[in-house]
Amino acid sequence: MRIEKCYFCSGPVYPGHGVMFVRNDCKSFRFCRSKCHKNFKKKRNPRKTRWTKAFRKASGKELTVDNSLEFEKRRNIPVKYNRELWDKTVEAMKRVEEIKLKRQARFIMNRLKKGKQLEKEEAINEVKKNIHLIKAPHAGKAKQMEDKMVQKLQEDVDMEDEDN
Amino acid sequence: MALYNFKKIMVVPTAKEFIDITLSKTQRKTPTVIHKHYQIHRIRHFYMRKVKFTQQNYHDRLTQILTDFPKLDDIHPFYADLMNVLYDKDHYKLALGQINIAKNLIDNVAKDYVRLMKYGDSLYRCKQLKRAALGRMCTILKRQKSSLEYLEQVRQHLSRLPTIDPNTRTLLLCGYPNVGKSSFINKVTRADVDVQPYAFTTKSLFVGHMDYRYLRWQVVDTPGILDHPLEDRNTIEMQAITALAHLRAAVLYVMDVSEQCGHTLQEQLELFNNIRPLFANKPLIIVANKCDVKKITELSEENQACDRLLAHRVDTKMKGKKVHDVLNRLHLAMPTKRDEKERPPFIPEGALTRRKAMEVDAPKRKLERDLEMELGDDYILDLQKYWDLMNDDEKQDKIPEVWEGHNIADYIDPDIMKKLQELEKEEELKERAGEYDSDDESEDEEMQEIRVLAKQIREKKQLMVVESKEKDVHGPRMPRTATKVRTLEKEMGNLGLDMNDKDGSHYAQQARRSRSIAKKRKREASAPPTSKTRSQSASRPPRDQSGLRDPKMAKKAKKIMKNSQKGMNRQGKKGEADRHVFDLKPKHLLAGKRKSGTTDRR
Repeated sequence: MRIEKCYFCSGPVYPGHGVMFVRNDCKSFRFCRSKCHKNFKKKRNPRKTRWTKAFRKASGKELTVDNSLEFEKRRNIPVKYNRELWDKTVEAMKRVEEIKLKRQARFIMNRLKKGKQLEKEEAINEVKKNIHLIKAPHAGKAKQMEDKMVQKLQEDVDMEDEDN
Repeated sequence: MALYNFKKIMVVPTAKEFIDITLSKTQRKTPTVIHKHYQIHRIRHFYMRKVKFTQQNYHDRLTQILTDFPKLDDIHPFYADLMNVLYDKDHYKLALGQINIAKNLIDNVAKDYVRLMKYGDSLYRCKQLKRAALGRMCTILKRQKSSLEYLEQVRQHLSRLPTIDPNTRTLLLCGYPNVGKSSFINKVTRADVDVQPYAFTTKSLFVGHMDYRYLRWQVVDTPGILDHPLEDRNTIEMQAITALAHLRAAVLYVMDVSEQCGHTLQEQLELFNNIRPLFANKPLIIVANKCDVKKITELSEENQACDRLLAHRVDTKMKGKKVHDVLNRLHLAMPTKRDEKERPPFIPEGALTRRKAMEVDAPKRKLERDLEMELGDDYILDLQKYWDLMNDDEKQDKIPEVWEGHNIADYIDPDIMKKLQELEKEEELKERAGEYDSDDESEDEEMQEIRVLAKQIREKKQLMVVESKEKDVHGPRMPRTATKVRTLEKEMGNLGLDMNDKDGSHYAQQARRSRSIAKKRKREASAPPTSKTRSQSASRPPRDQSGLRDPKMAKKAKKIMKNSQKGMNRQGKKGEADRHVFDLKPKHLLAGKRKSGTTDRR
């Protein structure tokens, strides 16, 4: 019993689910649900259909080359059952999965960092150009001028007092 | 040279059939409708087409016959001679010649009548011409009746001739009638030739095939030959003679030792001497047949016809040269001994033990069936106990296959622990290098302020867009001065300007100034006005008061105005110039059937 990969979306096909199509050239295609099957029949290219894993990997939106991804590989030579090997493998699988998830998350975060940078710059630009929409240029200036004048008068009076 | 296949000659129809076929084809495949009011060129074209079509069909069919039948000069002389013997060369050529002539005549007829048709000036004339043309063509063909019948018979016979390949290895059996040639061929090949006690059972050539030394040999059986001169020979004997003359074969002259065929040995000898010239350049074997009836040793010494007492031997002298050619190219390679080491053939141990076990009846091991019998109801088929594992106690384990959506079989690897360790090391390095540190740097206050302002700006922009969409562009266009002062004041307040000192502002001063000027104007009415426009604008009454004496009249005027507007308002018109016609009950929505869907919602 194996969990296969859907040809179109690369999702898991559990036993008892999905459809398998065998072509005249003996190549077989598995699909997880009728959505993928119908898309395939419409001759859509999974590498160009945005929601599939194939697209995401092909356009660099997800981690593709990494050592943690090399562990899961279909092997054609069977290995004889050996209890300790199986035990160790299950432990290793769990650890590898952790590491893989971390790395994938990091990859995506890095990708999105650029967006944050751009956002910041845009905000600064926006404020610089359109500040006049929420605050008139000389909004507090009148008061300032008044205060200044009052201060100046005060100073003059003080000076006069001093002179006197 | 065209390759002829005697079996694939097209059927030659009888004259009547031929005519019927062609005429019905013309009727079916050409247009049939014509009226006399059509244009004359169209009528002419219509009938010309029919004539040409018929001519084309006859021509094609006759040409096919002429090409299908073989030309006696083009085929192998054996076949040419055979056909001459069977069908008479002259008659054959004549028949084909007649067909050729007929073809040419038909072409000429068609040409002439097509030329005449060009001058046909009415439907009736053209039709008559066409009738005449077709009639003549059919008469020509009717005259060829006998030729066509003859050719059909020739075709049928030709297709049934045995396929004798004149270039391959052949054995030719000849001799008196009833000496045993057909029996011989029946025995040696898979042929099934009639064998009967009367003479001339075999009336034509028969072919059988046999294998000798991995090669295919043709064996040709001929009808018997009697001893009289060539000119007296009939068709059947001539076939045998033709075969003898043209086929490069090994000749087996069969003699009946027991004289059961009805001819003495002497006669047979004489025949042999007579046809000896035909055996030139061919390996010859004399076969003494029917020796079960009379032994060779019982023959008198005078009979020296039989040289050998054999069942059968093939003489490959004819093919000798060819064999040498092949031998030159073949070479059997035997590996030379490298050293003196003995290298016997290798037989695996298992094969030896099995052989020994077969010889000795070894005790059988315990079968599953026996186990089942023993345990009865408790028996469970457990194939896992036959597994060949490294530790025997693991045989009954339940092997896990899947974990959290991953196949364990994909991860199984003898060096998985090593790889995992490397991965862990890498991970450690990465962590130390700080790759996994979360980097939300706390932004300074300035940046936060900027973000808040940017958000406000965006909201304001959206509001402006919405407002501009809401404004009424189709209504009257008000000048900018129509915006009320109050809204302006509010707006400016929102922008952060200080609105407290309103009296001292510029716009308030201006308003005061204009009012005061107007008042002053009225007091000094006697003085002449300084500019004309100002005076007129001051003295002119507003439009809804001009021409009305008192409020009562004003009221009436207003009433009349409202009255005249009532009609327009009721019809939803925008003004007196609005002549738009509304389509309040469009027909395509409220009437008629729908292509798909129901009409119970309109």
